[in-house]
Amino acid sequence: MKKAVIVFIVAALVLATVGLWIFSSSGNFKPADIASFGIIILVVVFAVFFGVKRLTSAKRGEPPEDELSKKVMRKTSSLSYYISLYLWLAIMYFSDRFNYETHTIIGIGILGMAVVFAVCWLVINFTGIKNE
Amino acid sequence: MNNRIKEYRARFNLTQEDLAKKVRRETIVFLEKNKYNPSLKLAHDIARVFDSKIEEIFLFE
Repeated sequence: MKKAVIVFIVAALVLATVGLWIFSSSGNFKPADIASFGIIILVVVFAVFFGVKRLTSAKRGEPPEDELSKKVMRKTSSLSYYISLYLWLAIMYFSDRFNYETHTIIGIGILGMAVVFAVCWLVINFTGIKNE
Repeated sequence: MNNRIKEYRARFNLTQEDLAKKVRRETIVFLEKNKYNPSLKLAHDIARVFDSKIEEIFLFE
């Protein structure tokens, strides 16, 4: 329950920050900005889905975490870390070919890591962990 | 490893929610679909609900 509330608060803060960003930029968006908004919204939707799932479990009287969910989280963490290493390697390789500023590249990397984590969690959560 | 949880659940007239007291319902779903091998403790707890031995419910191949 506590974790679900924290997830909702963080999601609300992220949305508020995106709102401020949109408000301060007064409609002058580049395609890269729009892509960033899209990815941020995607990650927030994932976080809300995660929070709602936990709240539903709590309402049913089930434990918010059990041995399967902990295993899924552990496997997701290790797999997404492994993939993120390659992501950063790719970013380093392609960083010379694009004229992005350093903070933009770091932002792309961090957003990429969040997307990798979300995708890994979805795949592992819905396919299950067999024979481990 | 296969299991007979679904069969035992029907025999004891239990729903997945009834079985999901210490674990989430999703875990029961994964167990019944043979997509997850439980820990020894969970296997023991499930066997105790059905008043059976672990090897009667979980079939080791």
